[in-house]
Amino acid sequence: MADTLTTTSGFSRASLPAPTGQPAFVTALRERALEAFEALPVPSPETEEWRYTDLTGFELDFQPFAEGGGPEAVNRHGLLAAAGVSGERAGLQIQRNSEVISTQLGATATEPGVILSDLDEAASKHPDLVERYLHSLVPADRSRFTALHAAFRTGGTFVYVPKDVRLELPLQTLTYLDADGAAVFPHTVLVAEEGAEVTFIDRFASPDLDRALSNAIIEIHAGPNSKVRYVCLQEWGHGVTHLSVQRAHVDRDAEVRTLVVTLGASLSRSEAETVLEGDRGTSEMLGMYFGDGDQHFDHRSIQDHIGNETASDLLYKGALRDSSRAVYTGTVIIEKDAHRVDAYQTNRNVLLSDRAKADSVPNLEILTNDPVRCGHAASVGPVDENALFYLQSRGIPHAEAERLIVYGFFREVLDRIALAEVREGLERAIEAELEG
Amino acid sequence: MSENTTLEIRDLHVSVEGREILRGVNLTVRQGEVHALMGPNGSGKSTLAGVIMGRPGYVITGGDVLLDGESILRLTPDKRARLGLFLAFQYPVEVPGVSVVNFLRSAYNAVKNTDGDDENRMPALAFRKLMKEKMAMVGVDDDMVRRYVNQGFSGGEKKRMETLQLAVLEPAIAILDETDSGLDIDALKAVAAGINQLSGPNLGLLLITHYQRILDYVTPDHVHVLMGGRIVRSGGPDLARELEAKGYEGLRAELGIEAEGDEAEPERATT
Repeated sequence: MADTLTTTSGFSRASLPAPTGQPAFVTALRERALEAFEALPVPSPETEEWRYTDLTGFELDFQPFAEGGGPEAVNRHGLLAAAGVSGERAGLQIQRNSEVISTQLGATATEPGVILSDLDEAASKHPDLVERYLHSLVPADRSRFTALHAAFRTGGTFVYVPKDVRLELPLQTLTYLDADGAAVFPHTVLVAEEGAEVTFIDRFASPDLDRALSNAIIEIHAGPNSKVRYVCLQEWGHGVTHLSVQRAHVDRDAEVRTLVVTLGASLSRSEAETVLEGDRGTSEMLGMYFGDGDQHFDHRSIQDHIGNETASDLLYKGALRDSSRAVYTGTVIIEKDAHRVDAYQTNRNVLLSDRAKADSVPNLEILTNDPVRCGHAASVGPVDENALFYLQSRGIPHAEAERLIVYGFFREVLDRIALAEVREGLERAIEAELEG
Repeated sequence: MSENTTLEIRDLHVSVEGREILRGVNLTVRQGEVHALMGPNGSGKSTLAGVIMGRPGYVITGGDVLLDGESILRLTPDKRARLGLFLAFQYPVEVPGVSVVNFLRSAYNAVKNTDGDDENRMPALAFRKLMKEKMAMVGVDDDMVRRYVNQGFSGGEKKRMETLQLAVLEPAIAILDETDSGLDIDALKAVAAGINQLSGPNLGLLLITHYQRILDYVTPDHVHVLMGGRIVRSGGPDLARELEAKGYEGLRAELGIEAEGDEAEPERATT
């Protein structure tokens, strides 16, 4: 129906990427994905899933590929500043536009078998490994947008941490976009084998642009007894539309902690999902967002409990200024044969202007008859008037009182971020947002 | 701030949701004086405290509140605080995620550095030293000031924290709204000791209380009784003891005042 409105001319069979050394399975994947893209409808706001984000009139007239400019581009364009690297790294990869332009794995990550690589390069060098994981959690035909991603993705990050290897320092990829009118397809495949430990930071940054698309997929595989921390910092400039699907698979006794930070883009839709399949797996899902201007944020989450004694805890908090808009939709699923499950979900929104709007939609799907400990809480409202009066009665002017309260509101999330540099970076970001 | 700051409440009439709560209150508190304002529940004590500090939600239908002769009713609460007013809350508010130290430093700089120049803000180290002194004075430990403002505090801790704020901000006139309520005898003694440490020629105190018991530890110069939105009697410290002996009912009967609304005793309120 709405397909006719959507220009997709740039995304044709002729423009399918074919990086050197591309293994046959990737070529086949791209072709299947292109067919799925052409066959799948534009998501309709009539469906529950897309109720709050209407992309029926969204033109896909983007450039499918924009050059990265090679390794020398790293030192230009303020890329390193944008990478926000304030601490030590086990490894850093930089993608500019559609191409990875630099990958460095540091001296602390020299254990045999650790991989931090351009996803295309990894597919060519380790085809069996990449084939096992690429699009295994987020299938190409999940939606028209994931299909577009699977067909036209270039660059991306492949992280592999072998059995029992523990990386103390974080790995990071910066995806930097400065090609107006381009579509980029960031993709992170993060694999932690049994007993492995890894922290990975995905950072998305750009200057303000007229129009660009970031269509991202993150697939996290946490092997038995592994510990994975994943941080997504979305700081795109204005003009960018960001659509992202993140899905983590948690094996037995594994622990996955994810943090989704949404500060940038004009429209940002982030789906974050954790599937707790193995027994005793645990998941923490944190989220923070701060909207201003006319930003539109659509956050969705799924906590899917399959294994016994699995536990998940989700906390998303957001503040909205000006006429920004946020919706959070969270679903907790307790599958039929899951026993002794703990699942918590909390979403809180503070509105800093009369024109700002937020919705919070929690859902529980309990399919087991077993007693579960399951709780959810949601709130949307202005800054607490009693707290404002209390602070003002101590001489603190209204604007500063509001800043203190909102900053304090985010503390609950900040206090749970183990990585000091990420926490401190976010403190600065919140301060900057509050200064307006 | 002048040498001898004066808070003057002049024929103050205040309504809340269309109902008149204060019906012509007159009261003057000077720096260095200790006043106790006593009254039964619903007599308008907390309304008076709120109006003086600028709590939203009140409609002032008549009269005025002046500080050194200037009306403060149009000023925001923070401006009133910077002029030397302080309100210790009956129910101190939790401020999640804001540590007591940061809160107090912001408040201190706002109150003491009224020109708003960042350069004149007190350095963190110097502020710590000042805090230490004041904490010792009112009996607050390190652990408490690292916590978030009033979050998870016991009733006694909340009241001690209010006293600490009073000590740090050094106002000219402080209103303590039912600072004694909900405290056991040890907590009450601790809070009273803090107040006594702080009282002196530089502090005017208006102690709002239902019961006489805090006045066993803090001796007022003047005692006022608020009933039905008016001060019905003023006197010296003896008045508190007299009231303790005969009760609000006794005084009401003596003065020939009808109890009404929330102020009525429970058994009468049903009629």
